[in-house]
Amino acid sequence: MGVPAIQSVGLSKRYGDFYALRGLDLEVARGEVVGFLGPNGAGKTTTIRLLLGLIHPSAGTAEIFGLDCHRKPVEVHRHLAYVPGEANLWPTLTGGETLHLLGQVQGSVDPIYRDELIQRFDLDASKRVRTYSKGNRQKLILIAALMTRPDLLLLDEPTSGLDPLMEQAFRHCIHEAGERGQTVFLSSHILSEVEALCDRVGILRDGILVDMGTLAELRHLSSLTVEATFDRSVPDLSRVPGVNSVEIEGRVVRCQVQGTVEPLLKVLAASGVHELLSHEPSLEELFLAHYGRTSGSDGSPPDAG
Amino acid sequence: MQGERIVTQSQSTGRWPGAIIARETARHAVRPAAMWGTIFGFYVGLSAYGYASSYKTAAQRHFFAKTFGTDVGINAIIGPAHQIQTVAGFTAWRSLGVLSIVGAVWGLLAGTRLLRGEEEAGRWELLLAGQTTRRGAAVQALAGLAAGLLTLWVIMAIVVTGVGRLPEVHIAPSSALLLAAAAVSGTAMFLAVGALASQLAPTRRQAASYAGGALGLAYATRMVADSGAGLEWLRWTTPLGWVEELQPLTSPHPLMFLPIAGLVGAFSCIAVYLAGGRDLGASTIADRPRTKAHLRLLSGPAALTARLVRPVLSGWLVAIALTGLMMGLISKSAGRALSDSSSFGQMISMLGAHKGGASTYLGVAFLVAAVMMAFVAAGQIGTARGEEASGRLDHLLARPIARWRWLGGRLTIIVGALVIVGLTAGLSAWIGSALQGAGVSLASMLAAGLNLVPPAVFLLGIGTLVFGVKPRAVSAVVYGILAWSFLIEIVGGIIRANHWLLDTSVLHQMAAAPAVNPDWTANAILVTLGIASAFVGGFGFLHRDLVGD
Repeated sequence: MGVPAIQSVGLSKRYGDFYALRGLDLEVARGEVVGFLGPNGAGKTTTIRLLLGLIHPSAGTAEIFGLDCHRKPVEVHRHLAYVPGEANLWPTLTGGETLHLLGQVQGSVDPIYRDELIQRFDLDASKRVRTYSKGNRQKLILIAALMTRPDLLLLDEPTSGLDPLMEQAFRHCIHEAGERGQTVFLSSHILSEVEALCDRVGILRDGILVDMGTLAELRHLSSLTVEATFDRSVPDLSRVPGVNSVEIEGRVVRCQVQGTVEPLLKVLAASGVHELLSHEPSLEELFLAHYGRTSGSDGSPPDAG
Repeated sequence: MQGERIVTQSQSTGRWPGAIIARETARHAVRPAAMWGTIFGFYVGLSAYGYASSYKTAAQRHFFAKTFGTDVGINAIIGPAHQIQTVAGFTAWRSLGVLSIVGAVWGLLAGTRLLRGEEEAGRWELLLAGQTTRRGAAVQALAGLAAGLLTLWVIMAIVVTGVGRLPEVHIAPSSALLLAAAAVSGTAMFLAVGALASQLAPTRRQAASYAGGALGLAYATRMVADSGAGLEWLRWTTPLGWVEELQPLTSPHPLMFLPIAGLVGAFSCIAVYLAGGRDLGASTIADRPRTKAHLRLLSGPAALTARLVRPVLSGWLVAIALTGLMMGLISKSAGRALSDSSSFGQMISMLGAHKGGASTYLGVAFLVAAVMMAFVAAGQIGTARGEEASGRLDHLLARPIARWRWLGGRLTIIVGALVIVGLTAGLSAWIGSALQGAGVSLASMLAAGLNLVPPAVFLLGIGTLVFGVKPRAVSAVVYGILAWSFLIEIVGGIIRANHWLLDTSVLHQMAAAPAVNPDWTANAILVTLGIASAFVGGFGFLHRDLVGD
């Protein structure tokens, strides 16, 4: 295995007594599309700004393609492009001038692809930035990032302000980037976006990475939802090994099953089950399962991201 | 619990939830107004006390009045002197001449910041979704600005009244109120100019440029009117002339408040009317949303800096060139008056001067150019911080651009611009003096222009130091140093302050060229200290986090 695209060990950021990020151990392989989930203030933006070297770690290290993000930011930046969630740009420049500037600064641009992106995102590049809507400014910095065809795309809630059509165009571009072997690190709280685009997902809570894996792995470790309808009275399932969160509504019972379903199936078969439905948890359910336990505990500062 | 929270939120919206823009504007206007009111008040107090304690006898005061009161150049720069052989006359002359300009600059900046700036930042969009209209919002913003103005007047009046009770000063409370009102009237008029410009221009920067242009025109007209060229009638055509005519402590003309109030009222009404007739974010003067791409100066961060600061620096260049030209044009007659003054000659001799006439006058008058140069430096380091605070710097530093390259390139461009502006000041003053046959050499004027650069470079270095270690404090520190230095220069000489106090002024380290030869050793020390400070600041910037607003 070659050098990973992103690797962090014990990466932490502290503001006074408050930890915006605590001991992040992360490895993203080249060519992977990784989603980073978490609500506002969980530490997503802090992670990305640490990877960019815009802020300095309180502890730990971060490397991109084997280069230290803190010590060699310029070398690191040659390999990546960044899209922030808030697109503050120079208001007197036009969209075209902004793309020219950012392309010059990056040093390499695919002009044919840039023009294609302008078409795809339906951007009028002759307008001044100050006249753009939030969505159009977001399109502009997406194009500025994608047009350089970087080895790594660091995207921090990149679709805020985009309409559904442009959201589709964005997903198409990320699929293409993945197919070309580019690495994508996508911070988001739009679960459908992450579910549609990402090979692996990390879930961040209060600055701590609480779960990381493919969707299948996350589902495997999580509960299976089972709904059973009975011909006769509902049996007591609360004592069945692995079963929890039992809800009864008439002759219908819903429960969560952790681990093997064999004990539950034995009980159901002996109790005259009429209909049986089961489904794996969606990413939303997985996400809420992590956050539902600690809702209201978020006390992070506004810039902790 | 939820019910309690709702009640709390309901209470926090205040008694008039529809007046939130007025409250927010007042919140942002009142604090700086209180600070400026205090500075204005103490400025008046120090001027009065310094004069009274330095010129104790009637003979000294008459001599002072004969020297300065008839000086055409000084009259053109800060206005004509009336009865400056009295404490009241001197105080009104010195205070109004300086404070009406400073107040006007603050007024136009506050007006454009709190109207167009807030709208440009998108904050009005949220507020206009509430219980108000666009015209209502403009009225509220003006009401908030009026609260700031009232604060400025009240604080200044309190301080002047307090200082006026000193037996050496003796300014009656009613006179103190009138002086404060006169000083604040410049602020009021240019707040209204700023409010109107905010409706005309699509950006805060453009609005400030329009309002600044109006102030420049008003000041230039006032200078011409007061230059003794038989054009006194021009004073009636400029708002700054109306302020002069108030003469609050000598022979008050309260009727002059009428045109002042008329201008404030008319411009405010027009601003409100225009606010209602345009879309949010749009401007009355049509903006060109589309334009042909101009790709020059977009090759990197330094080129971008040059492109972005070009309009502001061009404005300063024109302003300093005009100021220098004006000084040059009046330098011959002003210098002759100074040559006749033995006490002034002594003072210049103490500074090491061996010249006289126009050179002497230009040496004193170039303090104004030095202050303008320092403003350029302070403004530019503030703009650098603005790039970081807005998040625009992220777009550059997330690309292969080293922090030192961005900051170093920016500072190099600013220093280069300062040298050009300084040389322009010297050259334009030489042209003016040559047109009058004042006999000042080009070489000495170019040297005097270069002599203006080191204090500005030093201030730039200190600003960079603060930028590196405490970025959010940049503007407060650099403008604080500038205000303090200006205060010391204006008042220190009159009150014959201790040299330790005088040395705290950045401007005091500068020799009064071309009245005396530039002190290149002192200049080298200033520049070295500025560069050293910039290096420390740069080191801090390399090792700190980027921080937003």
